[in-house]
Amino acid sequence: MDITPIPRYLKNYYLASFFNIKFMPMKKFIGLFLVLLIITVSAMAGGYQVRLQGQKQTGIGLIGTPFKFGASSIFYNPGALSMMESKYSFSLGVSPIFSTAFFQKSGSDYQAQTDNATGTPFYFYGAAKVSDKLAVGLGIYTPYGSSTTWDDDWAGQMLIQNIVLQSVYFQPTLSYQINEKLGIGAGFTYVTGNVDLNKALPYNDNSEANLEGSTSNYGYNIGVFFQANEKLSLGVDYRSKVMMEIEDGDATFIVPASLSTSIPATNKFNAELPLPANLDFGLAYQLNEKLMLAAEVNWVMWGTYDSLTFTFKESGDLLNSSSPRGYKDSWIVRIGAEYKLNEKIIIRAGGYYDPAPTNELYFNPETISLNTIVYTLGLTYKPTEKLCVDLSYIQTFGLEAEKSYEPENFSGKYKAQSYIPGIGITYSF
Amino acid sequence: MTMKYINLFFLMIIILITSCKSEIDDFDATAGSADFTTYLAFGNSLTAGYSSGALSSSGQKYSYPSILAQQFKKVGMQGEFKQPMMPTENGVGLRFSSSGFVFNTRYILGYKQDCLGQVSLSAVSSDPNASQADLQAQLFNSVADDGPFNNVGVPGLKSTDAISPISLFNPFYARFKSENSNYVLDEVSIINPSFFTLWLGSNDVLLYALTGGTGDDITDVGDYSTAMDSVVNRLTKNGAKGAIANIPEITSIPVFTTVPYNALVLTDQNTVDALNAGYAVYNATMEGLGLDYRINFTIGPNALVISDTTMPVPGVLAFRQIKSSELLILSLPQDSIKCAFWGSMIAIPKQYTLIESQIETINQAISGYNNKISEIANLYSLALVDMNTYLTKFETGMVFDGMEFNTKYVTGGLFGLGGDHLNPRGYAVIANHFIDAINRKFSANIPQVNLSDFQGTHFP
Repeated sequence: MDITPIPRYLKNYYLASFFNIKFMPMKKFIGLFLVLLIITVSAMAGGYQVRLQGQKQTGIGLIGTPFKFGASSIFYNPGALSMMESKYSFSLGVSPIFSTAFFQKSGSDYQAQTDNATGTPFYFYGAAKVSDKLAVGLGIYTPYGSSTTWDDDWAGQMLIQNIVLQSVYFQPTLSYQINEKLGIGAGFTYVTGNVDLNKALPYNDNSEANLEGSTSNYGYNIGVFFQANEKLSLGVDYRSKVMMEIEDGDATFIVPASLSTSIPATNKFNAELPLPANLDFGLAYQLNEKLMLAAEVNWVMWGTYDSLTFTFKESGDLLNSSSPRGYKDSWIVRIGAEYKLNEKIIIRAGGYYDPAPTNELYFNPETISLNTIVYTLGLTYKPTEKLCVDLSYIQTFGLEAEKSYEPENFSGKYKAQSYIPGIGITYSF
Repeated sequence: MTMKYINLFFLMIIILITSCKSEIDDFDATAGSADFTTYLAFGNSLTAGYSSGALSSSGQKYSYPSILAQQFKKVGMQGEFKQPMMPTENGVGLRFSSSGFVFNTRYILGYKQDCLGQVSLSAVSSDPNASQADLQAQLFNSVADDGPFNNVGVPGLKSTDAISPISLFNPFYARFKSENSNYVLDEVSIINPSFFTLWLGSNDVLLYALTGGTGDDITDVGDYSTAMDSVVNRLTKNGAKGAIANIPEITSIPVFTTVPYNALVLTDQNTVDALNAGYAVYNATMEGLGLDYRINFTIGPNALVISDTTMPVPGVLAFRQIKSSELLILSLPQDSIKCAFWGSMIAIPKQYTLIESQIETINQAISGYNNKISEIANLYSLALVDMNTYLTKFETGMVFDGMEFNTKYVTGGLFGLGGDHLNPRGYAVIANHFIDAINRKFSANIPQVNLSDFQGTHFP
């Protein structure tokens, strides 16, 4: 599918608003959302995790657990959902990711850079309070994904030429307010995912393998929200690991005719890829009527991603591979602030440091995850009491580092950057 | 008022997006203490870019000196690096055969039918229609007018040839010889390099080894030393710096390791019995002579019967089964084993084998040459490129950028189809090893080349 019209469409949207032209009509926007639903791809720092699941949270350093921002709590902290102030809340948004990774081969003047497709993580949340204490909701969001496209003939072509990893989470959620201060919540997650990758084979110039597969699995998301006093709120959330087990994925091999007897052109493969668990703890402090400060710590349990193994149905002796990844758990520390300019405008800013979960010796260019510094900006405009238009902008800086993938003796300097504008709306009544 | 804030927000984002540009700094190429202004490469067929059994324009393009010159340009090399280019992509090769010299084109991988009617992947001529006369004309056609040449790599050149008019009889030299040169080494003074690479000595053992000791003598280590002294003296005369590569263990290259010692596969008990019966007299005679030689066959792979004139027996009995430590040469016509009883009823002629004593002599010579090369490197402060140690690493296999390399024929990815020279990607590996040694010796920072930019073995 051709995805180029999407960013252009969004760009027009930004320009239109910049020149004070009327906002896009709602209908059109929903149409756009549906298109994005089909083509979700994304890429960001921290392995292949993407936390852009709410524009308000994105603007404030991607902190989410200590807030009751309404329906988007379904992802960030189901415990806070029952604390929402309106009876109904709907929220949807998208954050196109424009990312580039740079590479400089060790000991050589060879350079390459990615030409990644624009990632489009999106979210949709709907929630309703069925009683004073109980809220139900449904979230559809995309917390994992990546898109990395190197030139087909780049130096690391035997490791990876391009890869797209996508996942969509569907999460029905229940949240219960134990008392005015304490809310708990839990969601069941149904996850669908797919992967599509190409790598060159060391025979002739155009020899390559394509692996494509999809799968689904289940997980959960539980959270607790605590409003300690008028000023201080705390939240903790745990999202379970989901193992994406691909069975009978389609493998296509383009090899010279003379090798076609040992390497069949089409084949089936099994592989599994973990979407790791997260434990988040955050707190927010309302300094005065206008200013709120917040901080959060995320424990991302990447340690589970130890190796990537492909087993093939035919010619397994020749084709099966297990290559180490050796990821380690990472700790992300986030800070953010929110300032109410007036009744209609709230602005936000934040930042965080996201240490790479990747292993020094097993850094595979399929996932360019570096120690990353990020700043975030956000703005909420409330044209009416019920409607919020949420804008965000974040920029990530993957710090230059020398990395290698030892088993294939491939090493070099990497650097990465991305800029991610985001837009969403929340309608509560 | 409200819109102003929103507009400010967008303005800020636009400024942030347009202001961010973060690429990796360019590689800082430096020459260190060497001067690469004028580069000259001196050596034999490896230096010339001989590949897949021939010297061809397609191979010369990826000679290691040509690859090095591309990189030296980034650290001050001036002008063009000139090579005496062959007129065609398929080129011309020269090999010994029982009927004298034979010309051939470059080999490519293709399908060949053997005497049993089985078709398999083999090295075949890239231009089966080329006539001997055409190929000879190509090779004898002088390109001297395009010179002088920076690549003085002469296929077939031995160390002693470099300083002797005998090199004039080598058509690979005759085709680009400068008017004022008396022999190959004189070409150096015409270019007058500021930096050189020298890799010379393989042929001093290889021409002997490739013919099973029948076609040439191994150069005496003393003669090698004398010749190399002259060569290095001339190369360094005007203060040039350079790199010298030593000689790899030639017996570990595919031309000697592809045909297994036990290439005779027997599947039929009757044949086994008939052969054993046929050798009963031989075995009894050897026993009678008090010698350990026995010839014995079983179902499965069997050691081939080879001719060995070093045996302490009369000529008619000078054959035996080959030992697992001995080598067969790729030039051995394997159809003769399958269909003409070579290795079973007929002893394989000695031009296709290297027996233990020959291998030992070869290795002793190489070790003597390499001692001399180390001595020269020390004395003249040259970068020593240790190809001998490097090649042993490829015997177990090396991986670069996800590509595996080893010393196996065809699948090893390093050697061309001749089994004795490298393919373009293999020459790039060699060039990078030169760069490594040069960088270390002269504190330079010359960038290595990206191996996947070069063609490995091309499968049909």
